[in-house]
Order: sequence, then C-alpha cells, then structure tokens
Amino acid sequence: MALPKRIVKETERLMAEPVPGISAVPHEDNLRYFDVTVEGPSQSPYEGGIFKLELFLPDDYPMTPPKIRFLTKIYHPNIDKLGRICLDVLKSNWSPALQIRTILLSIQALLGAPNPDDPLANDVAQHWKENQNAAIQTAREWTQQYAKPQ
Amino acid sequence: MGAKVPRNFRLLEELEKGEKGLGAEACSYGLENGDDLLMSNWQATVLGPPHSVHENRIYSVRIHCGEAYPDVPPEITFISKINLPCVDPRTGKVEHARLPCLAQWKRDFNMETILIELRRSMALPAHKKLPQPAEGSTYS
Repeated sequence: MALPKRIVKETERLMAEPVPGISAVPHEDNLRYFDVTVEGPSQSPYEGGIFKLELFLPDDYPMTPPKIRFLTKIYHPNIDKLGRICLDVLKSNWSPALQIRTILLSIQALLGAPNPDDPLANDVAQHWKENQNAAIQTAREWTQQYAKPQ
Repeated sequence: MGAKVPRNFRLLEELEKGEKGLGAEACSYGLENGDDLLMSNWQATVLGPPHSVHENRIYSVRIHCGEAYPDVPPEITFISKINLPCVDPRTGKVEHARLPCLAQWKRDFNMETILIELRRSMALPAHKKLPQPAEGSTYS
C-alpha cells in the first residue's frame, strides 16, 4: 500500500526542518506510526523533562486527526493516567489544514499552559484548582522522576 | 488493505469500546490497573448463556495482551472455575488449540471476539449440560 503523498511530504519536512525541542521519527515497518519526544517548555513544571509520545495517522488522515498519547508518566490536568490528551485540535477543532508539526507544537504549548477548567484527569485538575502551588510541585517531582533523559 | 493500527492504539480503541459499554451485551472488559500505560493486563466477565447449565452465572477471566498483540492472540485464564473442553481444569487457562478463534487467530480479531466465542462454546449442545463446579468457586 502506497503512503499518501501528504504523509510523505510531512515526514520529509519533519526530518529536514525539525521543530526545536520536538522530534518525530516514523517506524521503519509502519510509516504511519511515529516515536515522538517533546521537551518540557522552560518556565513550566515540565522544564528539563523529555517526554515520550506515540503518534499514529489513521486511514482517513488528514480528514480525521492523528491519534497521539504520552508514553511518559506526566502530572497534568489535561492528560490522563494512560497518557491520553484532552486538546481541542485533536477532537472537534481538528482541520485538515493542521499537520503533525502543528499538533506537536500545540501539545508542547499545553505543557506550558495547563487548563484545569477542561480536565481529563479530574483528580489532578482538582488538585490544581485547590492548591496550584502544590500541584505544580507534584508535576515537577514527576518530571524529575519519570521524564529525565538517560 | 488499510493502515496497520499499532498495538497501543488498538488497545485504546478496545478500552474505549469497553468503557462506553458499546460492546456485546453479555461480555464486559477493562484494564486491571487504570494506570497501566502498557495496557497488558485486563479483566473481563462473561455472562453464562441462557438455556444452559451456565445460565445466570458470571464468569471472571483474566486476559494478558503481550507486546506482539494483536499479531498474536492474548492469553486468557478463567478465574471462576468452569468445566469446558477448551479450559485446562487445573489452571483455568484457555488452550489456544481448542478454541477456533485462537487457533486461527487473525489480526482484526479482538478481546471481544474471544469472549463471545467462549460464551458460544458454553452454549454448544455438547457443552451446555456438562456438570459444573460450585458457582463462585475459583482457581487459586
């Protein structure tokens, strides 16, 4: 099965002009399946961490959004225990004009701006609302514990 | 042939189907541990089919999806005791060779395929009257 031109183009550009702080490498045996890393943004509780994700382009991409989740444990109100992400552009606000690159930038931005009013992980969001400083401290500790580069 | 859905995204689809209760009525399944990022260990139940010795019994099973799932079938073990030819009477383990969907596994089969076939096996004329262990007893 030939890979659609759109995916080939996106992959080539990701390789040739990588986004700073983000990498996305397709699996050799499945060119729709990418190993992704995202660096935690500076000035955020995730600073210094390198987070692993996996991304898959379904059959009807780009008519439907990529599927993506965190493989590294992370304490964040919009990311659940299985690494699933609550982000509008991955759901109702997806548009075929968006790309792998823009989605990964949105995820990096989400790390810099947690949104406890639209939670996926309810217990984390509640912690964030009740005691933001303590929640941020926990997020920092998890970053140290789970997201430090080898 | 369409895109090959990787293991983890396949398991996420199955989890969402299980969570929303969109699956077959008489079977249910979910992760043993809600924070198991690898999604390897599952627990499921099968409701015994009507007009059989299994009627109204609820069977618990454990399912282990290895790294190569769904290219290879998962391991299924009954927790509740049952007398069924495809189940090892000492351990509760389902023997792959004795359940057709496991013996002839295909990548587009899923956990629900297996649970439904187990239930169908309970209802077969040759199996539906087999004497059964006490209800609620378990393999230890």
